[in-house]
Amino acid sequence: MYWNSKDISVFVEQKEFVDTAVIPLLLIDGQASKLKQNASSAEFLMALTAFIENQFKGRVILMPPVSYTTKTNRQQLGQEWDEMLKEAGFKHLFFVSSDMGWVNEESALNVIYTPSIPLENMDRKLRQSVLDDQLRQIIPVFAKRWASTT
Amino acid sequence: MSNNRVSRRQFLNYTLTGVGGFMAAGMLMPMVRFAIDPVLQKAGGGDFIPTGKKVSDITEVPERVDFAFEQVDAWYTSEVTSTAWVYKNGDKIIALSPVCKHLGCTVNWAGSPDHPDQFFCPCHGGRYEKSGKNIPKTPPLGPLDEFEVREKDGLLEIGKTRPNTLV
Repeated sequence: MYWNSKDISVFVEQKEFVDTAVIPLLLIDGQASKLKQNASSAEFLMALTAFIENQFKGRVILMPPVSYTTKTNRQQLGQEWDEMLKEAGFKHLFFVSSDMGWVNEESALNVIYTPSIPLENMDRKLRQSVLDDQLRQIIPVFAKRWASTT
Repeated sequence: MSNNRVSRRQFLNYTLTGVGGFMAAGMLMPMVRFAIDPVLQKAGGGDFIPTGKKVSDITEVPERVDFAFEQVDAWYTSEVTSTAWVYKNGDKIIALSPVCKHLGCTVNWAGSPDHPDQFFCPCHGGRYEKSGKNIPKTPPLGPLDEFEVREKDGLLEIGKTRPNTLV
């Protein structure tokens, strides 16, 4: 489900079933040399998280992407979101990012890192199968974390 | 000719009947058209979407078949990709919708190692038999929907969803 009023009203009523938030973490890097690559990886991340949403529609809410700059303090940003969403009633938080910075960071967020794949030159079929492959790798991560805490 | 003269009264009568007739027809025609409209509607069920799947390649084991169609949302047209689980039951082709009847997740065939011959929904552990029948004591309350299918030039075409007819 998405972060819109209709889906949120389902969330409020069905908290027992809808208990997970997926948060895309998006680094916006304004350096001229990195603009294009940056936009491409944002495109990939948005497409991938939409796929995740489609797969787990009945249990997850896909949040609007959290964008930050190179100067942002990742640790603090993550912590704020983590606290806020847990307060809102989400039991599981899945942060997804293709920014390597999260991997190096020792954080309790457990960011799921996916290397960015440039989708812009692919036709629809190829794009679909590339995203499917990525999704198939992510499904077990979700299943495992859900299983470990319920 | 001249002894068959049309009197002024006759002329007016003719004209009035003529014009009146046209006016009456103008009013009645749309009404009749509306009244018989249901009969003139084209028969539905023409919306079959071709998939790239050869019918001869379909086996007894459910397999994912993707198909894309254009969805028009007011003025905005987008291409939507949808999926079906397709298998053969004897000679009959069955295409089931992958949308879980619980809260709308996508179900996978043999998605759970413990139940290799069932559809499995990873969200809340819902399970369905191969026919799409929901397994009691799992969250879903109804069977998976079914797609209308037909064969054209050896390729599978998928139509609208309808409630499951196998269960």
